Amino acid sequence: MKGIIAFLAVSMTASYALADTGSAPITGNVQSRCIITTDTVGVYGNPNAYTLTTSASDGGVLPVIRFDVTLADAYYAQVTTPTEFTSSPSLSDTVSWTGTTEVKAVSDATNMGDYETNKTTFGSTTQYDLTATGSTWFKSTSVATYGGNKAFPGGAYSATVEAKCIAQ
Amino acid sequence: MLKKLLPLVVWVFSASYSYSDSISPYFGITGNAAIGSHQWIMNNVLPEPPGVDVNGVFYSYTPQKVTEDDFKVTVGNEGVWSDTEDWSGNPGGIEVRKVIGLPSVPKEAWGDGYISTEGTGTVEDATVVYSYKVTPCFDPQFDPNCPGYQVPVPPTVEVTIDFYDATKDENVNLSAADSVLVEENEEQLEKEKEEEEKEAEEKLRKYRLEKAMAAIDASALLAENQRIQQMNNIMQSAVDSQYLTATIPGGTYKETVVLVDNKIDDNKNGRRNGLAQQLLHNQMVDMQYNN
Repeated sequence: MKGIIAFLAVSMTASYALADTGSAPITGNVQSRCIITTDTVGVYGNPNAYTLTTSASDGGVLPVIRFDVTLADAYYAQVTTPTEFTSSPSLSDTVSWTGTTEVKAVSDATNMGDYETNKTTFGSTTQYDLTATGSTWFKSTSVATYGGNKAFPGGAYSATVEAKCIAQ
Repeated sequence: MLKKLLPLVVWVFSASYSYSDSISPYFGITGNAAIGSHQWIMNNVLPEPPGVDVNGVFYSYTPQKVTEDDFKVTVGNEGVWSDTEDWSGNPGGIEVRKVIGLPSVPKEAWGDGYISTEGTGTVEDATVVYSYKVTPCFDPQFDPNCPGYQVPVPPTVEVTIDFYDATKDENVNLSAADSVLVEENEEQLEKEKEEEEKEAEEKLRKYRLEKAMAAIDASALLAENQRIQQMNNIMQSAVDSQYLTATIPGGTYKETVVLVDNKIDDNKNGRRNGLAQQLLHNQMVDMQYNN
């Protein structure tokens, strides 16, 4: 599984013109104050023929994504666990997906300690309100089970955890 | 995870990194100071060479607690820094990672390190790593290439030799004549010593007197030179007073002679003289053959 660095950049351009009086363009850039970095690339373990999991006890590695925020109360962090493989051998049956996201570490426990408590989850996406400046590490689990407990075809499998920084 | 962060910590606290020159400052990081205990002595953590300045700390730990419990954790060093995280009302099991930047603080100023807790909970997997800079030439004697290095002078060994004096040996029995001889010898030695001291004092006195007289002569010569200089100045001023100040008109003196016909005739007197010389020469040559 590959972690994706989602970098949200906002740029805006405005122009203003008046007939018969000329025009003066105005340009500006807004630099994002939220940076996403892949801290650890995840690995699927294969504890049995029909399961792929990032659980360490099953030989997997949890993917870890870091959010660095320099402006408090300005962004939401959204982490979405995979619901499909980005590449895999041809699959004839359905794959069921489960995944979770949790706070692994923070750089300011006093102000970030409640991130995990206040998170909201919808579908495979978990959203955190980044109320403080600093770094937050999120870890995700992902489990893929092949339909009807069939064995996964041999080959390489990859999926992606998507991370987004959304302006409030 | 810590291994991944350490290069970042080093990069944050160090602008440059070099071991290329033995006297160049270099940077480094310590091992985990909190590996065995939540209290540690800095001398056991920092490297031994003098000139060690600590410029940053990275720490991490994971608290284990019930969400509803109050729990505070403080990490720091006596007299230098401390940082407290309040986990009250927050769940445990979430690691905290912090990088604390500090101005360069000499090793000697660092007190013992500690992780203290307040409330209900425990601290697990604590890591405290210090970033430091070593300036080898903090002690100039560290290396001969250090500025201010002085070649060490070997210590002077004082040797005391006890001479055996048979005349003071109580086990030596001298006759009356020998005793008298020894006493006379000692008196003679003392007398010679006194004379040598007087002579040295006299030489020193003469030397000082010569130096004083030389200084007097030098000052007298200087005064004489000044007097002569003053007389010369007076005489020169008397001479200068006899002259009047006048301004010599300047300008350009152009050529006034004009060659009218653009040629210069030969000097007739010169030609006559030259001819007379030639005639005389011919007569002299002819005299050789006519006679």
